[in-house]
Amino acid sequence: MTIIMIFLAVIGGATLSIQAALNGRLGGNVGVFKSAFLTFSVGALVTALLIFYFEPNHAVTLMDVPKWQLLGAMCGVPYIVIMVLAVQKIGTAVATVAVIFGQLTMSVLIDNFGWLGNEAIALSPSRLAALVCLAIALFFIYSSGKVEDKKS
Amino acid sequence: MQFLLILLTFMGGMGLSVEAGLLGPLGSEVGELWATFSIFAVGAALTFLLMLFFSPRNIPSFFSQPPSLLLGGVLGPVYVVILTIATPNIGIAMTMIGILAGQIFKSLIIDHYGLFGTTERKIDVKRIIALAFIIISLVFMAQG
Repeated sequence: MTIIMIFLAVIGGATLSIQAALNGRLGGNVGVFKSAFLTFSVGALVTALLIFYFEPNHAVTLMDVPKWQLLGAMCGVPYIVIMVLAVQKIGTAVATVAVIFGQLTMSVLIDNFGWLGNEAIALSPSRLAALVCLAIALFFIYSSGKVEDKKS
Repeated sequence: MQFLLILLTFMGGMGLSVEAGLLGPLGSEVGELWATFSIFAVGAALTFLLMLFFSPRNIPSFFSQPPSLLLGGVLGPVYVVILTIATPNIGIAMTMIGILAGQIFKSLIIDHYGLFGTTERKIDVKRIIALAFIIISLVFMAQG
């Protein structure tokens, strides 16, 4: 089960990268906000179609859950705006590393305390070791990016 | 100024994890597709306002763009549905690291061949080492 879920997450990451590459080029032509709007509106349309034909009925609807559970996009959209501002001033590499560290810090905190209705997964020595390995990986990604910059 | 921007970007990243953290429980209550829809509907509303007020004027129409460039929107739901399914099962941190592994993997394969119109970037040793460390990191995470 865990393996399948990790595999799914890896596929999700690859999809996200392809999407980012496409959106990057589209954004260059029509502007970041317009390309982000396209992503969200087409995404909403596709999901609406899928719901229409494939989603089974649920006792609880989006209108019944506490409103704070609907704040997901309010936390995701600022990221788009911040990246537009930050990439110009601090560069893509630093911005990306800062985002990833932010993501990891928060996800470890949410897991550890079981915030937002998630199951708690305590911060164990092996999870800490995982974070150290990730920091090393980030260092290599960052330094490979720098080599690329020098060549171009 | 630099430091403030880095801190702001760091908080942007934290926002992404909060988003993923909200999605999992929401998905198990109302269904994965409805949870995904909530993200895209609210996101579309917010980015419409941003576009309306902050986009440069006289930008070219979507209909003047090659259709393949517009496919990003179709790929978006794939990612969000996966987030919704994976986080309740393996936790947010492991999901995030898995996604990162996918991104690096993609940058190795797709950039190497210059697929999807990306600039060709040959595989270099540092990226392979990075991917190896991310995989080790996933193994550590899986051990709990």
